[in-house]
Amino acid sequence: MCIENKMKHRFTINQLNKNGYAVCKVENFKIFKALQNSFIKNISFPNSKNKTIEDVRKYFAKKNKAEINKSMINFITFNKNLSELMVKSFPNLIKELCGKELFVQRRAHTTINVPGKNQAKQVAHYEMISGISPFTYVIWAPLHEINDEGGAYHFDLKTSLKIMKEEEKKGLVNSSRVLNLMGKKKPPKLKFGEAIIFNPFVLHGNIPFNSKLARIACNVRFQSSSKPLLQKNTDYLKYYRLTS
Amino acid sequence: MTKAIINTDMNIGPFKIPGNGQNMILNFYAERNKIKVEEIIPEPFMSDALATTQWTHKKKKLELVILCSIHQLPQKQNRVNSLIRNMKNVEFHFALENISGKGKKFLKSCIKEAKIFKNAKVIDSTKTSWSKLNKLRLKKK
Repeated sequence: MCIENKMKHRFTINQLNKNGYAVCKVENFKIFKALQNSFIKNISFPNSKNKTIEDVRKYFAKKNKAEINKSMINFITFNKNLSELMVKSFPNLIKELCGKELFVQRRAHTTINVPGKNQAKQVAHYEMISGISPFTYVIWAPLHEINDEGGAYHFDLKTSLKIMKEEEKKGLVNSSRVLNLMGKKKPPKLKFGEAIIFNPFVLHGNIPFNSKLARIACNVRFQSSSKPLLQKNTDYLKYYRLTS
Repeated sequence: MTKAIINTDMNIGPFKIPGNGQNMILNFYAERNKIKVEEIIPEPFMSDALATTQWTHKKKKLELVILCSIHQLPQKQNRVNSLIRNMKNVEFHFALENISGKGKKFLKSCIKEAKIFKNAKVIDSTKTSWSKLNKLRLKKK
């Protein structure tokens, strides 16, 4: 890895340690583009030949949640190697954070968020609520640029931990206080090839947005295999070795 | 040729799944994957040899078996050898991991992965708190 790239990773990691999240850039654009193409090829929508990601976004923007869920069923083929494609898109950053020996989410997620008031809303939450290890990182990567409010917002680590500790004193987790945070933050705009990396203690979510296009993003969770697991095991994670 | 689900001890690596829970998982997996189950093989508790399964295979020629997890595969070398020798032509499905395949290479890779996870450290989630988990994250950096 060249010195310039190392400096970039150092900056991202410093931001990640300080704020709990940071914007990172795709390192292997060829693989990330292949991931995007694989999505377009495998997602079920009419006349998919020679279509672009914008065509898919336009098509799904008019669909309701049930119709989208139906399309997602055909999607398992794409999801089979999505984790690998995601990890291989950011190999050096992941290696810097976790080393080469990893536990990676067995089936990475793809989310399609539809514009409109009654559509996309992911309530504010910590990734920790699912029982992943505290040593886990998440990379969230939209498959296109985001120039509206269809992205994801993140609270900084200090605020997230303050809320978490106050909740814990009351014996609560992800209470109505956290759920009511939804909509009070504006998601950042991102260029295609930019992603957000964050730790599992950072509160995040998304808000309803207005657009003619749906938002499509992939996300993957990973940790060093030398760090302890929590509740997730082989049901959720697989062993993966990064090759240089 | 028979397609079967395999029910084992409730202690399955890191998971604790009672027998009826295993049956629910296995039957749901079979239904989702359009597999018609014809046989239920009960393995004795406190054994990971899958000896009953191998005996059933000799008698009934199994084509496909479904287990809950790769953690139900044997770890001792002589038992691994026996399983691979006798069942290399049988298709194995693991419902929780949602993986399937057959042959020596596939079974060996599943057993290896189960071993890696078996050797991984695990935080006891019944003896911790959110704050302690965050402290742990910072301490081990």
